Amino acid sequence: MAVATLPHAQTADHGEVDRLYAETRDLRLNGFLLFLVSDVVLFSSFIFAYLYMRNTGQGWPPPGINRLDVAFAALNSVVLFGSGATMHYALENWKHGNFGRYAGLMVATIVLGAMFLCGQGYEYTTLYFREHVSWAGSGIFGASFFTLTGMHGFHVFVGVWYLTVLLLQSVHGVYTKQKYFGLTAGTLYWHFVDVIWVVLFSIFYLI
Amino acid sequence: MTVAAVHGGGIADHIHPEPQSFIRRYIFSIDHKIIGIQYIITGFVFLVLSGMLAELIRVQLMHANGGLVSNDTYNEIYSVHGSAMVWLVIIPLVTGGFGNFVMPLQIGARDVAFPWLNMLSFWMFPVAGLMLFSSFLIGAPVAGWTEYPPMSLQAGPGTSMWCAAIFLIGVSSTLTGINFLVTILKMRAPGMTFTRMPLFVWAQLATAPLSMVATTALAAALAALFIERQFGVPFYDPTKGGSPILWQHMFWFYSHPAVYIMILPAFGIISEVLPTFSRKPIFGYKMIAFSSVAIALAGFMVWAHHMFTSGLAPFLQLPFMILTFVIGVPTGIKIFSWMATLWGGKIHFTSSMLFAIGFLALFTFGGITGILLAAVPFDFHVHGTYFVVAHFHYVLVGGSLMGIFAGTYYWFPKMTGRLMNEFWGRLHFWLFFIGFNGTFLPMHWLGILGMPRRVPVYDPQFQGWNQFESIMSFVMTLGILIFFANLLVSIRNGKKGGANPWNARTLEWQIPSPPHYYNFKNIPAVYALPYDFSEPLPYTGLENELTDSPAPATAGAH
Amino acid sequence: MDLAIIEKIFAIVGGIIVFLVAVIAFWNDRKSVGIDNHVFKLMLVLLAVGAALAFFAAVGLLGNFPKAA
Ligand SMILES: [Cu+2]
Repeated sequence: MAVATLPHAQTADHGEVDRLYAETRDLRLNGFLLFLVSDVVLFSSFIFAYLYMRNTGQGWPPPGINRLDVAFAALNSVVLFGSGATMHYALENWKHGNFGRYAGLMVATIVLGAMFLCGQGYEYTTLYFREHVSWAGSGIFGASFFTLTGMHGFHVFVGVWYLTVLLLQSVHGVYTKQKYFGLTAGTLYWHFVDVIWVVLFSIFYLI
Repeated sequence: MTVAAVHGGGIADHIHPEPQSFIRRYIFSIDHKIIGIQYIITGFVFLVLSGMLAELIRVQLMHANGGLVSNDTYNEIYSVHGSAMVWLVIIPLVTGGFGNFVMPLQIGARDVAFPWLNMLSFWMFPVAGLMLFSSFLIGAPVAGWTEYPPMSLQAGPGTSMWCAAIFLIGVSSTLTGINFLVTILKMRAPGMTFTRMPLFVWAQLATAPLSMVATTALAAALAALFIERQFGVPFYDPTKGGSPILWQHMFWFYSHPAVYIMILPAFGIISEVLPTFSRKPIFGYKMIAFSSVAIALAGFMVWAHHMFTSGLAPFLQLPFMILTFVIGVPTGIKIFSWMATLWGGKIHFTSSMLFAIGFLALFTFGGITGILLAAVPFDFHVHGTYFVVAHFHYVLVGGSLMGIFAGTYYWFPKMTGRLMNEFWGRLHFWLFFIGFNGTFLPMHWLGILGMPRRVPVYDPQFQGWNQFESIMSFVMTLGILIFFANLLVSIRNGKKGGANPWNARTLEWQIPSPPHYYNFKNIPAVYALPYDFSEPLPYTGLENELTDSPAPATAGAH
Repeated sequence: MDLAIIEKIFAIVGGIIVFLVAVIAFWNDRKSVGIDNHVFKLMLVLLAVGAALAFFAAVGLLGNFPKAA
């Protein structure tokens, strides 16, 4: 990241954001938020299914399955939550024109997101090889745990690539200090992924 | 944000040039009007296909011993008939079809908020439809349109195809819901406050969040069913710890609101047609508008009324029964408002108006049998019988489909510039109305007497009424054939209608038929409701719409 | 040292840091307007809740209940 100044420094003479952009941004922002709402409903439905199955069985975890490793999950969660904090400050720095710090925080976010995925991979392999818990072979426990955390992991995976693309775009000057809706959307998406994990962490590891 | 969002106006000044190639103009169009017509054509094609399946069912039931098709084929036929009517005919027609064509015009916008997304939503629809119908080649779904496990887990590969098809149409529906919601909230013409929106727009506004939220819940249920069928991951299979009741909860959490996705836009159509042909302001505008929203909200809290006989805990039956009764209140408010609109009006019995009045009668009847079904003791008696079949055909065919016909006769002149033939339109109405009642009215008492639905053979004592129903269903089909013939002939040879053949007052009638690519030369300003027929039109800025003055300058593509 | 102890120490320290950062970010943004910023603030609060949950899980106050009989 050798670029030290914002790409918009050369084109700053455009002045205030034009009205047309403000309006299309408003539409896209609302559309994107509604998309996230529908994604929340998707997760909520699976969470409902999980809680429903959990309460129709005989205790949880079902007989023959150990409790999940809370300590490791707590560490992995902190990694993901930390990436939410770095993402937030990345956008703040972009708004204030500190491209260097923005880029550094974006890289930190992407690395932390990837670390979370590695942690989840570690957890899955431990469960599979040491505890013999699998998606299709461990009854409703495997079904609900791997489906929900896998869905979330997929969202993180998509998010890591999404943020990488956004970072490359901003390096190439796609966004300016006034026009950066893509970065706002990316931040919203990443926060959403974090917050879903708050819920999943609570219902799988804490209750 | 330094610049606050301004409704309409700003987007108005930004017009893309009309694409010239045939493909970009009529196939992969991003114009909401073309997309709306594409939805309507595709929906009607699927209506013909599902109607053919329905006739196969009726021919099979001519004799108590069946004999036309095998039992398995019969299961496939009614499963695909139901799925196609719900997801490929009624929902796409009332939201994607009429919603797309009419709603942006009525709010004074140049297009929906996300035209490209709109095109994407549309193209998922025919693909999903082809997937659903092609499942016949590999063994179509057999567990009805509700696909209850464990039967849907044991059926052939067509059921997985069904999951994928319905998932795809669900994604399309969700994206359309997002698109419409943003459009209505953010792109209304200046001055069009919420209480000045036409009632059809209110109906779409109440429907869009349902498409968005409920359909996503269905997507989760379908994904789980697909995963369980393909990878053996247990969600619904009771032998592996899953719960078939879970599917029922997830499915009905979608499918009860889906009833309102199908009926609320039809309410909207009726609310436009009735005042126009009574020449009278709509009675109780605010009550009709807000009751749509009340119905939409309450619709999320009643899903378990479909599960009274599925082992639902008794302490849950009572609240679900009462909440379902409560939905009858806003619905009743609408019915009374519409009747009060007719009262003392100067009624013009056009084809469109006939269907709207027919809608009032049939929908009210279906609504009342719905209240009966919501009563737990009565439901215990008739659950899974033809009484249920009669009920939902009264609300979905007598309600939604009649609304679609009313809307087609009403907006056809706006889409094509020509009127549909009134004589054949009235004949369509009478054949359809008589045939419909003849087909479905006897099902009420057959159901109470205990004739079970979804069975290819039945007790010979019911054969007389079944033969009567089948014959009447041919009358209904004849009416629909006349409708399609009328439609096809009128596109080329219909009488020229001009901009406003009905003397209607909503915005879409103040511009040429068919409208220009950019809809409005200037975005109008709105200063009152559109239903006051004795007043001058409540718009300014429309002076040039019907003159030859040049179109607004178009911005370059970017 | 036991691997679980190291995990817990990192989770505890990280949880505190993330909690504080989220709370400070929320406080700095408390007067911001616009739907996106309101959503950001809500997300930051939930992030702080998440960090607190992770902290309590790591110190053993949450999630270590004995297996139900
Ligand atoms: Cu229902």
